Amino acid sequence: MGFELNFSIDPRTKIIILAIISFMVFNDVPMYVSGILVLIPFFCLFFSDYKKAAVIYILTYVIAKYLQITILPNATGILAIVLITFSYTATRMLPILMMGYYTIMTTKVSEFIASMEKSNVPKDITIPVSVVFRYIPSVFEEIRSITKAMKMRGFGLTFKSLKSPLKMVEFYMIPILISAVKTSDELSAASLTRGLSNPKKRTNLISVEFNKFDYLFLAISIAGIAVYIYYLYGGALIA
Amino acid sequence: MSERLNVKDLITVGIFSVIIIVLIFIFGMLGYVPILMIALPILAALICGIPYMLFLTRVSKFGMVTLMGLIMGIVMFLSGHTWVPIVTFTVCAFIADCILKMGNYSSIKNAIISHGVFIIGIMGNMLPFFILKDAFMSAMRTSMGNDYVNVVAPFLQTNVLFVLFVLTFICGLISAYIGKLVLKKHFERAGIA
Repeated sequence: MGFELNFSIDPRTKIIILAIISFMVFNDVPMYVSGILVLIPFFCLFFSDYKKAAVIYILTYVIAKYLQITILPNATGILAIVLITFSYTATRMLPILMMGYYTIMTTKVSEFIASMEKSNVPKDITIPVSVVFRYIPSVFEEIRSITKAMKMRGFGLTFKSLKSPLKMVEFYMIPILISAVKTSDELSAASLTRGLSNPKKRTNLISVEFNKFDYLFLAISIAGIAVYIYYLYGGALIA
Repeated sequence: MSERLNVKDLITVGIFSVIIIVLIFIFGMLGYVPILMIALPILAALICGIPYMLFLTRVSKFGMVTLMGLIMGIVMFLSGHTWVPIVTFTVCAFIADCILKMGNYSSIKNAIISHGVFIIGIMGNMLPFFILKDAFMSAMRTSMGNDYVNVVAPFLQTNVLFVLFVLTFICGLISAYIGKLVLKKHFERAGIA
């Protein structure tokens, strides 16, 4: 690891940035604003051992944006729909998906709970949210292995099997649900041994504090949202 | 039985929120076919009955369903929907919770009705399209192209919204009933419902 500059962001910062990005993707913003926000997940991923994902992400984004600007306005027909789908997904959802991916992959649950406790969020919200963060990747893993198991028995995702969608839903849903129930039992046993249900105030091994990266990223994203709000409402005020 | 939620309840809420959210997202991918985007709440209502009914077998306290609505709203917000789902999901889940409370968390009829109410919360994902129709359309025209907008536009009207509300509610009831049957077929036999 050549230049590993101890890059870690506070979970609170990640969530604030995630919220800001998700607030902004809904509307179309000029290039110079969205550019900043697109680059935030890129740098986050790039400096924390997900270099490949970061590069793939930025390339996909640039291609999609290029398509959207140059080709789409005059395109028609079935090809256009495919391209539109691709570029729309990439430009709208990709930044937030990557930011979510980054948040999920790099935040440890204990870190998350520690930082949430520090900002006095009640336990009733932190615990389910941390379970959500932790469990989403394993659901997709689950889906992948169910698909494999079904293929082995000759129920792959083919056109033939799509003829009976209800059966497909059942075949996917039941194993996922059963494993979910099992996981929830296991997790509660684990949390009991970790003393999560202790009503007293917890102490944390990990110290979470805002460092210079946090302030930097927060400043950039807040500047971004300021420009965005100015663009949305300032234009109306002037006109 | 204490009224306060313990950690086990909170974890159950988290796990089942994930299941329902993932289901909604997977079926949300179908939203790229223009006509299905409008039907998304109905699809979600049809699909979410099974996990919801399984979730209810583990609910015995007031607040769990409300909390699940809140969590789902938060995750929806963080994943690129507007802030509206937080409000709608929480309100609908709260009403669903009250309905369950009336049935003392054991009545099947109340459980089915509560799913119908709960799933209306997903309309929060659609509401911005209807309320900010004009702004949304112009934004769509630049990002999705003319064809998409021309297909979707006739459906973005207020009476369609009401039809959607009613259909979502009805589909919620149907899928909760299916959920009950599935519960009987698979989970009670396996001893986990």
